Amino acid sequence: MAGTKVLRSLLHELRLASHSPGKIKDSLAARYILAQYKKYETTDQQLCKARDEAIFLGQTYLTYLTSLRKYNELYKEYHGSGERTVKETADLVGFKLPTDPK
Amino acid sequence: MNKQLITNTIRLLRIGSGIKWQAPALTAVRQYATPPKRFYKTTNVLSTDSGYEVTLDHRKLKTPNGTLFTVKSEPLAIAVATEFDAQKEHIERSRMHISALCFTAIDNPNKLTKPDMVNYLLNFIATDTVLFQYDNEKDLQELQQNEWDPVIDWFNQRFETNLQKTMDITPPQVSDEDKMKIAKHFHSYSLETLHGYIFAVDTLKSIVLACAVIEQKITVERAVALSRLEEEYQLKFWGRVEWAHDFSQQELQARLAAAVLFVHLNCSENFIKQKSII
Repeated sequence: MAGTKVLRSLLHELRLASHSPGKIKDSLAARYILAQYKKYETTDQQLCKARDEAIFLGQTYLTYLTSLRKYNELYKEYHGSGERTVKETADLVGFKLPTDPK
Repeated sequence: MNKQLITNTIRLLRIGSGIKWQAPALTAVRQYATPPKRFYKTTNVLSTDSGYEVTLDHRKLKTPNGTLFTVKSEPLAIAVATEFDAQKEHIERSRMHISALCFTAIDNPNKLTKPDMVNYLLNFIATDTVLFQYDNEKDLQELQQNEWDPVIDWFNQRFETNLQKTMDITPPQVSDEDKMKIAKHFHSYSLETLHGYIFAVDTLKSIVLACAVIEQKITVERAVALSRLEEEYQLKFWGRVEWAHDFSQQELQARLAAAVLFVHLNCSENFIKQKSII
C-alpha cells in the first residue's frame, strides 16, 4: 500500500530532520500529515482525485526531506574545511602516528 | 671547552633559524560568512485573519526585506516552521528552499510583474532541454527518444500545442499560436505561484518537464533524472563521482520538490474537495 509506505518514510525523515528527535508526536508537520491521512482514509477503495493528489504531495515532501538530508551528508563529507591535520592525513593513507599504539 | 663551544654554536644557530623561520602562508582557504546561529528553541504556526504566520519562540518570522511573513496556506506555513526547526546550530539559509521561495514570493525583490514572468517562461521554450536531441550517437538517441518523446507528446496533447524537437543546434520553431496557448495557461496562475513555476523551470532547464511534474504526470525524481538524461548516459562510461554527480542530483531534487510543493500549496483551493456525505 503506497500511502502507508509514504507515511512511514515521511515520519522517519521528519524524525531525522527534527531538532529534538524524541518528540516527533508533538511536531506540527507530523500532526498535520496524520490528520490529512485520516481525512482521506475513507476513500481508500474509490477513485478519488484528491487522494492521489494528497499522496503525490506526500511523496514530493518526502523527496524534499530525503534529498536535503543526503545533500547535507555529502556536503559535510566532501566540503573542504581548510587544511587537514596530520592525524587526518595519516588516516587517509593508512599510516599511524608515532604516538598511536601499534 | 671545545664541546661547550659547539653546543653554544648549535644553540645560536637554532635561535637564529627560529627567528628567520616563518609559518608558510596558508594558500586558498576560503573565508565564508558565518551563518546566523539558531537563536530560538521552538517554532510554531499562528493563524490570523490575513493568513498563517510562523513564530520562532515568541518572535514572529520576518522576510529578509523586513515584512511580516504571512502565507495563505496552512501546510506551507507548517513546512516553513518545520524547516526552521530542522536547523541545527546555525541557520543555513541557502538550504531552506521552501522558505526561500516563500520569501521571494512575498518580497518580490526583482519587482517582477506577471507579464514579465510569463514572458520569461515563454522565452524558455526555444531552449527547452528535451527539445534538443542528438542523433550522432545511436544509443543516446534511442534513450532520448524513449524517455523524452512521451513527455513532449503529453505536453502537446495537454496544451494543444505542436512543439517539435530539433536534432541540431538550430532552435526549435515555436509558432505564435502555441506561445499564446502556453501564455494563457500561465496567466491563469497567481503571481506567487509563478515564482514557484520559474524556480522549477530554472531547476530543470525545461518547461515541458516542469509542467509534467507539476501536473503530476511524473514524479520529482523522474523529472530530475530526465533533465539529467545525457549526464546519466555519460556516467556509464566515465564513472560516477559522488561529490559532483550525486551532489547535484540531490540538490536539484530538493529544489524541484520545493517548487512543486510551493505551486501546489499555493493553489490548494482546488485541491481540497470534501466528499459530500449522503
